Amino acid sequence: MQPNPSKLPTHPPHHKTLKFSNMTQSFISLPQELQLATSAHVKYIQSLDSRKDEYDYWLTEHLRLNGLYWGLTALHLLGHPEALPRAETIDFVLSCQHENGGFGAAPGHDAHMLSTVSAVQILAMVDAFDDLETRGRGKAQVGKYIASLQNRQTGTFAGDEWGEEDTRFLYGAFNALSLLGLLHLVDVDKAVDHIAACANFDGGYGVSPGAESHSGQIFTCVAALTIAGRKDLIDVDRLGRWLSERQIAGGGLNGRPEKKEDVCYSWWVLSSLEMIGKTHWIDKEKLTNFILSSQDTDKGGISDRPGDMVDVWHTCFGIAGLSLLDYPGLEPVDEVYCMPKSTIKRVLGR
Amino acid sequence: MADQGGSNHGIARTSRTRTEEQRQKDLERIKDYRALEDQVRHHAAKNDYSPDVFALTSKLLRLNPEYYTVWNVRRRCLISGLLSKPSPGSSPSKALPTSSPTATTTTSSADFSSSLSTETPPALESQTTGKSGTTAEDEDEEQKQQTRQQDQQNDQQILEKELHFTIPLLLESPKCYWIWSYRLWILKQVIERLPVPVARNIWEEELGLTSKMLLRDQRNFHAWGYRRHVVEQLESPELEGKSLVESEFEFTTKKISQNLSNFSAWHSRSKLIPRLLDERNANDEARKAFFEEELNKIGEAINVGPDDQSLWYYHQFLMLNLVNSAENPIIAPAFTQEERVAYLRREIESIQELLEDYDDAKLIYEALFDYTLYLCQLQERKPNEQEEKDLKGWLGNLKKLDPMRSGRWADLERDFGLKE
Repeated sequence: MQPNPSKLPTHPPHHKTLKFSNMTQSFISLPQELQLATSAHVKYIQSLDSRKDEYDYWLTEHLRLNGLYWGLTALHLLGHPEALPRAETIDFVLSCQHENGGFGAAPGHDAHMLSTVSAVQILAMVDAFDDLETRGRGKAQVGKYIASLQNRQTGTFAGDEWGEEDTRFLYGAFNALSLLGLLHLVDVDKAVDHIAACANFDGGYGVSPGAESHSGQIFTCVAALTIAGRKDLIDVDRLGRWLSERQIAGGGLNGRPEKKEDVCYSWWVLSSLEMIGKTHWIDKEKLTNFILSSQDTDKGGISDRPGDMVDVWHTCFGIAGLSLLDYPGLEPVDEVYCMPKSTIKRVLGR
Repeated sequence: MADQGGSNHGIARTSRTRTEEQRQKDLERIKDYRALEDQVRHHAAKNDYSPDVFALTSKLLRLNPEYYTVWNVRRRCLISGLLSKPSPGSSPSKALPTSSPTATTTTSSADFSSSLSTETPPALESQTTGKSGTTAEDEDEEQKQQTRQQDQQNDQQILEKELHFTIPLLLESPKCYWIWSYRLWILKQVIERLPVPVARNIWEEELGLTSKMLLRDQRNFHAWGYRRHVVEQLESPELEGKSLVESEFEFTTKKISQNLSNFSAWHSRSKLIPRLLDERNANDEARKAFFEEELNKIGEAINVGPDDQSLWYYHQFLMLNLVNSAENPIIAPAFTQEERVAYLRREIESIQELLEDYDDAKLIYEALFDYTLYLCQLQERKPNEQEEKDLKGWLGNLKKLDPMRSGRWADLERDFGLKE
C-alpha cells in the first residue's frame, strides 16, 4: 500500500494502543505523543487521591489543597469539570479551614497563604462561594486572614504568621481577594510599590528587591500588577525580550538564562507574555510540541520534560500552556488567574 | 516543587512498577510515618509543646522537611518552653501564633518539665556581698541580670542546636523554601534574645553557609536571596554593623572568576554598584575609571564566550548606563554627551570585530542592533543611511539564525521602519 499523505486523519485517534509497527499508518497519522491524551490525563488526575498505598502520597500532604487546585484546573481546561465530584471537593476544601478564615493544605495543617489561595480558586471554579458563607467561615473572614498577612509598612505579604515573605504571596493575596471582591481590604498601592522595587534592569522581577529575574516571580509580579491595574509600570519591550529568550533549542521554555527547559515555564513565561501582548515573540508550534512530548500518553499526566516522571503540577501548567497556545479542544484559560476564563467571567463579570 | 507521585495508574498497572515486596515495604513506611504524624498532631491539638513533642518533630522533619505545619509545631515548642520567657521590660519575642487549628488561645503558660539544657541551673539566689551600701533593689537588679545571662546562655545553646539541625536537611534539599525560612526565623530569635557580639558571630557564620551553598550550586536563588538578607542584617544597627558592600562586590568577582557564565553573580554585581560607588564617595574621575574597568572586564569575558547570555545581559546593563542615566543615574551620571557617544561607538566597533571570528553568534547581532539604536536615541536622531543598511543586515541575520523569535524580529522591523 502506498503511503498517501493526503489521507491525514481529521481527528486524532482515540484508542490508546496506536501501533507504529505499520509503516504506512505512521506515515499518514501524527505520532500519538504529539496529540493531547485527554482521557488519559483525566483518569490520571482522578486517580491521584487513591494512591494511599504510596509513601509519596503521604509525604505530599502539605500540598494536598494545592494539588486539588492543579488537578481541578487541568480538568476544567480539558473540558471535564465533572470528573472530580463537586460535593466531596467542597467538603474537603471546607475541612481545611481554620477559625481565622485561613486554609491549611489538608485537615490538621496550619493555615497558609498558598493553601488559602488554592481554596478560594477551587471554590470559585466549582461555584461554591455560597457554601463558604453557609458552611464555612465566610468570605469576609477569609479576606480578613489574607489582609492580616500584609505588612502595612512595606506593602509585602507574608505566607503565614511566621513571616516568610515572597512576591508569590503578594500575587496570591491579590488573586484570592479580587475573586472574593475584597481587594480593598489591603493597601494595593503599597504592594504595587513593593513590586516596582523588585524590578530589574532586564525588565524582569525577582523574589524580593535585589533578587535576579525569575520567570515564576515575573508571572506573580506581572499578574499582580494586572489585577491592580498598574501594567503601566512594566517595561514591556525589555521584559518581552527577556521572556522570549526563555525558549531554547528543544522548543521548551526555561525559567532563567542557562537553565533547562521545563513544562511549568510554559505557563509562567507564556502567561506573562500574554499579559504584555508579546506571545508571538516565541515559536508557539515548537512549544506546543515540547509540551505534548512531555506527556505520558499511556498512563496520563505531564512531566517537566520528555521522559521524566509526571506529576499533577506539570499536568496543570502544561495543559494551561496548551490552552494559551490555542490547542484545539481546550477551554480558554485566564492568563492572570490560571483558571478557566468562564469561571473568571462568572465571578468577576468580565 | 514536590512530585505528586509516579506513573501508577489503576490497579493493573501498580504491580508493574512495584513488586509486592516493595509495596509491603511502602505500607510499613506509611504506617510508621502516619503514627509519628498522629502523635505530633495529638499533642499539638492539646497545646502540648513539651520537649517530647519537640523530639518528635525532629524525627518527622528528617523524614519530610517540607511538612511546614511540623516546623510550626517546633517553633511553638521553642517559644513555649525551650527558649526563655521574655522578662518584663525586655523586648517581646516573636509574634504569638494566631492560627492554631483548635484552640483560640495558643501558647500555654510555663508549666513544662525542665528544658533541654540541663547544664543551666535554675536562677540562683543572689549572693552579692562586699558592696557596701547595697540596697534590696540592687540585689534584685543583680539577680535579674544573672537570670538574664543564664537565659541567654540557654537560648544560645538551643538556637545553635536548631541551626545545626537544619544543616543536613538543607544540604539534601537546598531549594526547600520551608527550611530556609525556618533558619531565618531562628536567626531572628538570635537577634532578639542574644547579646550583640554573640548574635553577630552567629550571623557571620551564616554568611559562610551561603558561600558554601553557592559553591555547590552557583545559581541557587534561595541561597543568593538568603545571602542578601544576611548581609542586610549584618549591616544593620541591631547587629552594630557596618557596610559590607565592598566584600560583597568582591564575592561576585570571585564567583565570576570561578565561572564566567554566572548570571546570578553578574546580577548581584549590578545591584551592588550604586551603593559601592556612593560609599566610596567616588568622584567623577573614579566613576569613569570604574565604568571602564567593568567594560574591559565584561569585554574580555565576551571575547572568550560570545554565546553566553549572562555576559551580554551585563554588557547591556553597562550600556544602559550611558543611555538612560537621566532616569537612573547609576555609575557615571556626569558623563558628557560626547563621552557617551564615544563609548557606544567604541563598543559597537569592537563587537563588529567579533563577527570576524563568530559570524553565527546571534547575540552579537542583537547587541549591534540594540546599541546602534541606543546611539541614535542618545543623539536624538534617526539612523543614517549606513546605519539603516547595517540594521537591516543584522536583522536579516537574526531572522536566519534565530527563527524561533521571528515574531520579535518582525515587530522590530515594523517599529523601526526596516522592511526591505
